[in-house]
Amino acid sequence: MQLNFAAREVAIKLVYYGPALSGKTTNLKALHQLVQEKSRGRLMTLETKDDRTLFFDMLPLVFKADSEHGSMNLRVKVFTVPGQVVHASTRRLVLQGADGIVFVADSQLAETENNAASFLDLRANLKELGRSISQVPLVIQFNKRDLPNIRTDVEIDELAQRGKEPVMKACAVTGEGVLESFFGLLDRTWKRLDEEHDLKDKLGLRPEAFLAMAAASLGHAGQATALASAFIGGARMPGTPPSGGTVR
Amino acid sequence: MTAQKSTHGSGNALDVVGDVPVRLEEVIDREALVEMCRSMQSLFGIGVRVYSADGALLANVASDLDICGLVNDSSQGRVACGATVSAAKSVDPGDDGDVVHACFTGLAYRIVSLDYEGRRIGRIVLGPYAPAGLREPPETLARTVPKLDVIQSTTRLSAVARVKPEALGRIAHHLKTTLELIIFSSHKAYVTSKLHLYSVRESYRALEEKTQRLEQAHSKLKELDRLKSDFLGTVSHELRTPLTSIIGYSEMLAEGIAGPLSKEQADFVGTIHGKGEQLLGLIMGLLDLSKLDSGTMSLRQASMQIAPTLQEVISTVAPVAKKKGVELVLDDDGVACELAADAERLRQVFVNLADNAVKFTPKGGTVTIRARVADGGASDDDDEGGAVLLAPVRRVVVVTVSDTGIGIPSAERNKVFDAFYQVDSSSTREYGGTGLGLSIVKRIVEAHGGTVVISANEPGGTVFTVTLPSAQARRTLPSRLPPADRT
Repeated sequence: MQLNFAAREVAIKLVYYGPALSGKTTNLKALHQLVQEKSRGRLMTLETKDDRTLFFDMLPLVFKADSEHGSMNLRVKVFTVPGQVVHASTRRLVLQGADGIVFVADSQLAETENNAASFLDLRANLKELGRSISQVPLVIQFNKRDLPNIRTDVEIDELAQRGKEPVMKACAVTGEGVLESFFGLLDRTWKRLDEEHDLKDKLGLRPEAFLAMAAASLGHAGQATALASAFIGGARMPGTPPSGGTVR
Repeated sequence: MTAQKSTHGSGNALDVVGDVPVRLEEVIDREALVEMCRSMQSLFGIGVRVYSADGALLANVASDLDICGLVNDSSQGRVACGATVSAAKSVDPGDDGDVVHACFTGLAYRIVSLDYEGRRIGRIVLGPYAPAGLREPPETLARTVPKLDVIQSTTRLSAVARVKPEALGRIAHHLKTTLELIIFSSHKAYVTSKLHLYSVRESYRALEEKTQRLEQAHSKLKELDRLKSDFLGTVSHELRTPLTSIIGYSEMLAEGIAGPLSKEQADFVGTIHGKGEQLLGLIMGLLDLSKLDSGTMSLRQASMQIAPTLQEVISTVAPVAKKKGVELVLDDDGVACELAADAERLRQVFVNLADNAVKFTPKGGTVTIRARVADGGASDDDDEGGAVLLAPVRRVVVVTVSDTGIGIPSAERNKVFDAFYQVDSSSTREYGGTGLGLSIVKRIVEAHGGTVVISANEPGGTVFTVTLPSAQARRTLPSRLPPADRT
């Protein structure tokens, strides 16, 4: 996170990580489509000829938020990493300074090993950057729910209960689950930053208010809590809203 | 505020994967920008200025309006004009990013912001232009520049083309969009090249780290290897000393120096002596191996012929072969070629190979030692030409030791030269041996600049082919072979 008091500006970096071809860029493209035009910048994609991500994709989201201390600029930069194994060094570079991570897993059974390998890669890269995966807000998205030969809902639900991270199911090509993953992570990320940097006092902005404003600015007013709590697992009791905040 | 440990030199990649504001000066080519503004000016007849966020003028394409010339002719007018232009430069275009700034002449400036990723990175100032409703010079003109010729100023002002606000808005929007697109494209190119650079650097760093680890491991292994050789050398030496006593005393016992022995006692002492000799052979082998490994074995190289050595080999192995019922054949065809070699070591090589061959050949089989002189044949540097000159000095002596025994599977053929290796551990029990012999053979042959390879002997059995370079070859092609005078 970059906090600029003088410019009343907070910049957050979110990274979409995952194995090759799991749909990270598709997530970002869908997110770009799903947010209001005035709050989004151009989607920067650095692709090769065969549509494989070469370096990263980046979508800047910018909106104003009114806090108790006045109006401020919130900047959320969403990145994807290149999934192919050969781009290991680029993944590590893009991961630098990430405030939160969406791990995009491929639901196909045949991809189980690649998902695990990519997750271990993520862990190793964070470690290399001097961070531990337990310190970084993380949500896991099972993408490609529309394909055959995938891990079933029941299986994912069971697995999700065993893990610590919130799990979302998605079909990024149709946009399903994309906002849920994004807001789920944004919520967790802001709360973590709030704990670490006491943003409530410094900025006069409570986490619930932040999330509600973000949702409204991105064209999804009133849906913040619903979107951010549409996950399974995440080591919370079923039915408890994640932030305890109210829908505005 | 980025609470992150940067573990290595590529921490500065945050300038592209972080949120560093883009500077207009850095992402835009000034000459190209001026060219574009000039084309806009010639298309619409309105001056264009582009400023960066901190007020630096990046492009200035002004229209020379007659009215402006007239105003600037007077000193008051010049001062007032300068003040207007600098005010237009610094006026805030507000949240909408679009504002009109009026001039005292009745003309106006339109100021639009340039935004990128939600940040204001510069502004475009269009003008001066005459707003659509302007009919006659406003009173501010007479007030600011009282001495101005009213008729002239009216004529000149009316000559300026009138622009409707909507039309100007469209022009401004077009220019803004175009510039923002250029900024995006060049920022993208900037990010790509920067990240490419960082990725290469990061990969290089990772590789370098790995190389360093490998180098460390390598030197550690080398040190271990040296220690192993030292250990083998010391232990062999220390073992040999008491063993010499065992052999000596058992020999004396067998000879009856300490009194007569019963037949059974003589048998036992004979076994002790025999096993002692066997053990000594093994220890000597180990010693040779460690000397060869550590490079401390001295080869007494002298001019020699292979034939007499092979004769000796035959006579050494003959008793064993005869006992086993294996025919031993020497075919040296009067081979004559000068070698620079240690005759004793070469004898050891061929005794070893012949002994091995006999050991693995069943009764009724044949072991053949065959020697020939050959032109060096194909070589690694044949591509470089000169074969006609080099082949004659590349003469080699080729000695093959072939048997009709059990053979060695092709996959195992290279491993048999490893110390202590036997194709099948069960063969140790059946045929005896330590697996040391062949590794010593290989090292001695290589120390002479030669090679030893294994092939199959049809229909069954094994052929060991030892190729030794002639003395001439070792003198003339020193770069590829150990020098002949090595001691």
